[in-house]
Amino acid sequence: MTYFPEEVVEHIFDFLSSHRDRNIVSTVCKAWYRVERLSRRIVFVGNCYAVRPGRVMARFPGMKCLSVKGKPHFADFNLVPHDWGGFALPWIEAAARGCPGLEELRLKRMVVSDESLELLARSFPNFKALVLVSCEGFTTDGLAAIATHCRGLRELDLQENEVEDHGRQWLSCFPDSCTSLESLNFACLKGEVNAGALERLVARCVNLRSLKLNRAISVESLARILARTPHLVELGTGSFTVEHRAEAYQRLIHAFRKCKSLKSLSGFWDVAPRCLQSIYSICPNLTVLNLSYAPAIQGADLVKLIRHCFKLQKLWVLDCIGDKGLAVVASTCQELQELRVFPSDIYGTGTAAVTEEGLVAISSGCSKLNSLLYFCHQMTNAALITVAKNCPHFTRFRLCILDPGKPDPDTNQPLDEGFGAIVRSCKDLRRLSLSGLLTDKVFLYIGEYAARLEMLSIAFAGDSDKGMVYVLNGCKNLRKLEIRDSPFGDAALLVNVGKYETMRSLWMSSCDVTLGGCKALAAKMPRLNVEVINDRDESDEMEENPSDMHKVEKMYVYRTLAGARNDAPEFVEIL
Amino acid sequence: MQGVCGFDGGVASPESVSSVSKAAVAATEGGEEEGLVVDDVHGGAVGEREEEREVEVSNGEELELGLTLGAARKAKAAPARRGACCRILTAKDFPSLAVRASRRSHSGSLASSSSGTNRGGGTAGTKRTAESVSPDVGGSPHPPSQMVVGWPPIRAFRMNNLFNHPKDTTALKKADVDNGVDSTSKTASGSRDQEDKGCATRSSFFVKVKMDGDPIGRKVDLSAHHSYETLAVALDLMFHKPTMAFALATAAHGSKVSKLLDASSEFALTYEDKDGDWMLVGDVPWGMFLETVKRLRIMRTSDANGLSQPVHFGKGFYYPSTLPVDQ
Repeated sequence: MTYFPEEVVEHIFDFLSSHRDRNIVSTVCKAWYRVERLSRRIVFVGNCYAVRPGRVMARFPGMKCLSVKGKPHFADFNLVPHDWGGFALPWIEAAARGCPGLEELRLKRMVVSDESLELLARSFPNFKALVLVSCEGFTTDGLAAIATHCRGLRELDLQENEVEDHGRQWLSCFPDSCTSLESLNFACLKGEVNAGALERLVARCVNLRSLKLNRAISVESLARILARTPHLVELGTGSFTVEHRAEAYQRLIHAFRKCKSLKSLSGFWDVAPRCLQSIYSICPNLTVLNLSYAPAIQGADLVKLIRHCFKLQKLWVLDCIGDKGLAVVASTCQELQELRVFPSDIYGTGTAAVTEEGLVAISSGCSKLNSLLYFCHQMTNAALITVAKNCPHFTRFRLCILDPGKPDPDTNQPLDEGFGAIVRSCKDLRRLSLSGLLTDKVFLYIGEYAARLEMLSIAFAGDSDKGMVYVLNGCKNLRKLEIRDSPFGDAALLVNVGKYETMRSLWMSSCDVTLGGCKALAAKMPRLNVEVINDRDESDEMEENPSDMHKVEKMYVYRTLAGARNDAPEFVEIL
Repeated sequence: MQGVCGFDGGVASPESVSSVSKAAVAATEGGEEEGLVVDDVHGGAVGEREEEREVEVSNGEELELGLTLGAARKAKAAPARRGACCRILTAKDFPSLAVRASRRSHSGSLASSSSGTNRGGGTAGTKRTAESVSPDVGGSPHPPSQMVVGWPPIRAFRMNNLFNHPKDTTALKKADVDNGVDSTSKTASGSRDQEDKGCATRSSFFVKVKMDGDPIGRKVDLSAHHSYETLAVALDLMFHKPTMAFALATAAHGSKVSKLLDASSEFALTYEDKDGDWMLVGDVPWGMFLETVKRLRIMRTSDANGLSQPVHFGKGFYYPSTLPVDQ
């Protein structure tokens, strides 16, 4: 390719949209490596400890968008101790030095301090978009810095972060000259914002298309806001407590009718069923509906609502919808691609639950379904086999049977055959989460059939090391493997150590892996970080020098070019 | 007449429904195996009263409590008062019930296990449980979801924001009215209401609990309790050790209190407070306890001697700092 001018090569590379493709072409030859690295604009770092921030900036000086992920996925469920790591500051510092042209930053599961946000706000004159997902460590002071200093900010998207409310009127810090906002999401904040400032802000940001409010915003305020933003495409309501006879409610209905572009709705905190009627006029246009934070809405009201939503592509709902409600979804929402059913009552068996019947109904009605997250109380092999037959297009299939290790209630058999049918039928399956009673057999099926599988989550499953071995030897495209409370030990861990360099990470907790096994792995594979995470509570009971036979409570293994990290807390041992 | 009561094997949350589960004592390092059985005492339609309490109490009756391994719940009767005292049954009392042999006897997680049982019996057991309304009976060998740390896999943000919704407090109030529980519970639900209004305070309040000799730590949601009694009963159920069976007071004594709160049992419930001191649970008002507790530990009483108890000096409480006597 030396006779092709570099501009042409670069232009060809522009058509490569996936990171993987760009990574591959950069390994072809030195010339391509150079062209590729100078022209890459979007950089994705799946594990913040896999590479040093400075190295990323040096390789991609033209970077405009950076995405970084920090803690392992199981941190979402409190399995990773609080100060394990995943700090954003080193990345922001390195970007400030090496890529001052940065425009977008997306962080997931990282610890973001106010100091980092302040540095971010001051370091990048062209900064346009900040997206923080499941992060923590910052307060509204940091947000105030962003609002104050980021001229030309287009997007501020805060999803499910733990943000400390310092009471500062951060939203009022957006200067009057700020008119560029297109997307603003502060639904996860607990504190109040100045309603007047918010209304003025949305009024002057004429390009605003996505607005997600927090629970502190009243219906009165929402009605006034909607009156100013008739072109909104995505809306997250604030608190929806209102007396349906109130004038504010009437104004709200009127405002909704004016919003002809609304396609996505979420929020609905505290909504009373009667008030759902206010959105009936919008429902026929909706493609995305998230009612998963509205437990007061029971099945019947949900059903009435959903009957209007025939264009729905994405639905997040609580299991109050019931199997019957899911049947209505199946008959109404023929375009449905993604469904998430969350539990509304995890402490007991509850009457408001869904079972395998609901899932089967969905599968028979919604043939385009490709992404599922389903919490239920029971599942049968027969149902899973039917679902596999009806919906062969699953790319993400996550089933969570609330009772760990529960068998098929009809046959008392493990669910191996059901999940086996899923992996056999869904050839494009990229993500799978298992639950229920499972033996090594399900892993045999997964290893053999799930050729495209990239992420596998295992809990309370398997009988012996063989299960894990089937997966490690089988799934060619496996990138993330996370296992908890399953009987896999050192033999499985060490059977195919080279595999881990082809993966992003491996998490094992409450399994049978010993300290000796971890040490052996670390010794054989110097380019892996093998982290042994000790629960702080254990440390007063642990011996000074635990023997190699000692079982490791939590282990996190990941490939890295950066060597052992230097910010690990004392309860993390990096072998 | 010996009564047997149904119970919910997890958190003593008022809106929790009784579930049948196969949770059993976490086997000790020695591979000790234990099975627990629960059965319901009063007659009545299965499925009646879905918001069921964990434990049945009947004045003057001796009650037995255990976790079922697939035995059908025969009935749920009137809502139970908490704080019943029971004897834990073992698999030896119910030899026909099958239990999946523990494959994790030396690990941390709870697994039901029993010697000499087989799958066949389990089927029978499961069939009987299938008749009950509760969809949660399936004879799984693992503890019910609420007992396990980090399960069900729901993001912490959702847990904190959803599972303390006013709807829950409504159910809580209703249940309290049914139970005739006194006003302290209303305070608890009232304060939870406040938290629901989006203040920065915590809505659910999980603290870690560890028991001496048990390698697995658990978590308990203190905001789901309104008194020491309910908490102690919930912890009893979480950490079934054979020796604790004898540590539980019987109704015959008239004290409906878990032995954890009683000085004469083998185990004592202690907590670490904000200052890092380990204190015996039970001496300060519940609300004060909630403000100061960081984590719980079920200590062997031999270790707990010399533990500080708050000493009442006039108006205030004085907490001498002390170290537990170590063996």
